[in-house]
Amino acid sequence: MGEVTAPGTQPRRTSPRVVLVHTATFRQARQLVPLLIPIAAVTGFDDGLATVVVLAVAVTALSLAAAALSWWRFGYADGPTAVVVTRGLLARSVRTVPNDRIRGVEVEVPPMHRLLGLVRVRVDAAAGSVGTNEEELVVDGVPRAEGDRLRARLLARRPAGAPEGERTAEEPAEEEIARFDNRWLLYAPLVGSYLVVPVAAVGTLFRLVEELPDAIVPDVPGPDPADPRVLVAALVAAVPLLALAAVVGAAVVNWRYRLVRRGGSLVAVRGLLTRRHTELEVDRIRGGTLSEGLGMRWVRATRVNALVTGLGQANRRGQLLPLGPRTEAVALLARLVEDPGPLTAHPPAALRRRLVRALGTGLAVTALGAWAAAALGWWWAPVAGAVLTVLGVPMGIGRYRALGHMAGPRSLSVRSGWLVREQAVLQRRAVVGWEVRQSPLQRRAGLATVVACVGAGSGGYAAVDMAAADVPGFTAAASSGTWAATLSARAG
Amino acid sequence: MTADAAAPVRDPAWSLSRSAIGLWVTEGVFGTLLYGVLVAAFVLFVPAGGPVPVLRWLLPALLAVYAVVAIGVRPWVRYRVHRWEVTEEAAYTLTGWLTRTWTLVPISRIQTVDVTRGVLQQLFGLATVAVLTASSQGTVRVLHLEADVAHRVADDLARRAELVRDEAT
Repeated sequence: MGEVTAPGTQPRRTSPRVVLVHTATFRQARQLVPLLIPIAAVTGFDDGLATVVVLAVAVTALSLAAAALSWWRFGYADGPTAVVVTRGLLARSVRTVPNDRIRGVEVEVPPMHRLLGLVRVRVDAAAGSVGTNEEELVVDGVPRAEGDRLRARLLARRPAGAPEGERTAEEPAEEEIARFDNRWLLYAPLVGSYLVVPVAAVGTLFRLVEELPDAIVPDVPGPDPADPRVLVAALVAAVPLLALAAVVGAAVVNWRYRLVRRGGSLVAVRGLLTRRHTELEVDRIRGGTLSEGLGMRWVRATRVNALVTGLGQANRRGQLLPLGPRTEAVALLARLVEDPGPLTAHPPAALRRRLVRALGTGLAVTALGAWAAAALGWWWAPVAGAVLTVLGVPMGIGRYRALGHMAGPRSLSVRSGWLVREQAVLQRRAVVGWEVRQSPLQRRAGLATVVACVGAGSGGYAAVDMAAADVPGFTAAASSGTWAATLSARAG
Repeated sequence: MTADAAAPVRDPAWSLSRSAIGLWVTEGVFGTLLYGVLVAAFVLFVPAGGPVPVLRWLLPALLAVYAVVAIGVRPWVRYRVHRWEVTEEAAYTLTGWLTRTWTLVPISRIQTVDVTRGVLQQLFGLATVAVLTASSQGTVRVLHLEADVAHRVADDLARRAELVRDEAT
C-alpha cells in the first residue's frame, strides 16, 4: 500500500473501533459457520458446559482475528478523479470507481456503530456490466465527521486537482419536501411488505424450534390443536399481533423520515435503530412511480419511488415516501415530474381480455375440481373453482380499471397492476426506446402493448393492451425529439 | 410481409439475409434431434405399464408436430416477419413469429453496438448486431445479417451515435 499515485490520494484506514463492532456481530466469522457445524457435530455437545464455553471463546477469538485482519488489509482513498478501495485477506482486490460514475452516497448508522460514533458509507456506482453485488463500494466504520466529509466530497464533483482536505464551504440551504407523520404508521398492517416481516420472523422461530434437539425443548402439555375453538382463538389473537408487528416494523424502518432538498440533491433520512442517510441527485431523476397494493388502495395510501438513471436497486435507494396518503404522494411526485393529466382508459377489448383470462382460470380449476370430485371424492375442489370463477369478475374489472396511459407536454404516464397497482410518471427525455408487442390474440382484438424503455428503475414501463391505432400517436407524443415518428406510416 | 390493418405501427423496410432460413431450419433440426433422444429414452426405458400410459403415444406425436413446425413452418414465417431498418434518427426492428415485437431506439441514445457471431452463424456467414441503450429492455437486436453488412451497420451506428449523443440516459 506504499505507492503514491497523486498527492492527496494516500490510502486511509477505517477507524480501529470497527474491529469491535465486527467482532461483536461476527461479521467476518459468519462465513466460517458452515465449516464449524460439521466440526461441532463430530465432537458433539455432550460434554456439557465446558465445551460450550470453550467453543464460545474460540469463536469470539476467531471473529476478533478475522475482524482485525480485514481492518488491517482495508484501505480507501478518495482521489481527485476516482475512489479506490483496497481489500482482501490473501488475494488483494483493488476497485477504482471514477468520480463521474458515482450516482449516490448513503450514510448508514447501525446501532452498534452509533454507540461507537461510527458510520458506514455506501457508494453507488452507475449500474453497468458488473453484477448487482459489485455495484456499490462500502466503507464500513469511519468516524461520523469523516463520513460526512466523504459524502460531501464525493457528491460535490469538484474539478480534478482540488486541494485535499478542504471542507465544502458550507452546506447549501435546505428545503423540506416531505416529513413522515406518525399517524401514517397505521397504514402498515395493510401493506404487504410490512406484513411479510412478522410472518417471516414467526416462520424462522418455528424452524429454529424444530431444529433444536428434542431434549432441549420442554414438553409442554398444550391445548389440543385439532379443537376448532383453539384454532379460532389462535386466529383472533394472531390478527392484532400481526398488525402490531407490522406497525412496529414500519416504525423501525421509517422513524422520523424526512426528505429535504439540499442544493442539487434530495436527501432522505430515516430509521429508528439504523439511521440511514440517502442522497440522490435531482439531475438524474427521470420520474417516479406511485405504487399501491390492494390493501393500501382501501385506505388511499401510496408509496413513491424516484426513478434515477444508472441507480441499481432503485426500489430501496430511490424511495421518496415510504408510506403516506395518496394526496401527499401525488403532490410530492408532481414536484419532480409534471403531471401529464388524467389517464386515458384502454378500449373495451382490453376489459374482455382481462375477464376471459380471470374466468378462464376459474373455469379450468372448476373443471379439474369436478374431475377430482368424481375420481377422488374431493368435494371441496369444484367449490373452490366456483368461488375462484365468481371472484374472477371483480378481479378482471379491477385489473382493467388499473390500465391507462397519457402523454402530456413534458411527461408521460402509464399504469397497470392489480395486486400492486403501479403508475409510472416519466419525463419525456427519459424514454430511450420503444418496444411494441402484439400477440395473435391481441392482433385479433386490435390491441397492442407498448413499453417505454427507460434507463432507470425496472428498465421499462408498459401500457398494456392499448388500442393498436393509438400507438403511433402516443409514442410520438411521449418521446422527446422526432425519432419516434419512425413508427408511424412512412410519409412518401 | 404486407402491411395489415391491425398492425399498430409500420413495419421496417428491409428483410434479412435468405441464409437465415437455412440457419433456422438447422436449429429446428437440432432441437428435434434433442427432443427425439429424450422421447426415445422415455419410450425405451420406462416400462410399458408406467404411470401414465397415454404418454407412450402422445410424446412421439408431439415430437412429430414439433418437427413439422420447427423445420417446415417456423423458419419461413420468421423470415417473412423479421425486418429491420436504420433511418436518419433511429434503429428499428421487427422480430417474432406468432407474437410480434417492434423495437425502436434513437441513435442519440445508443450506448454500445455489439456484433456477435455464433457457431452456426459462422457456418452460414451471418452475424447479429445488438444496439444497447441505458435501459435493459431497450435493446435492438438485428439477427442474422450477412457478416459484412453487420459490420458496416455497426460501424455506421457507432460513428453516428458518437456525433449526436446527448446524455444517452
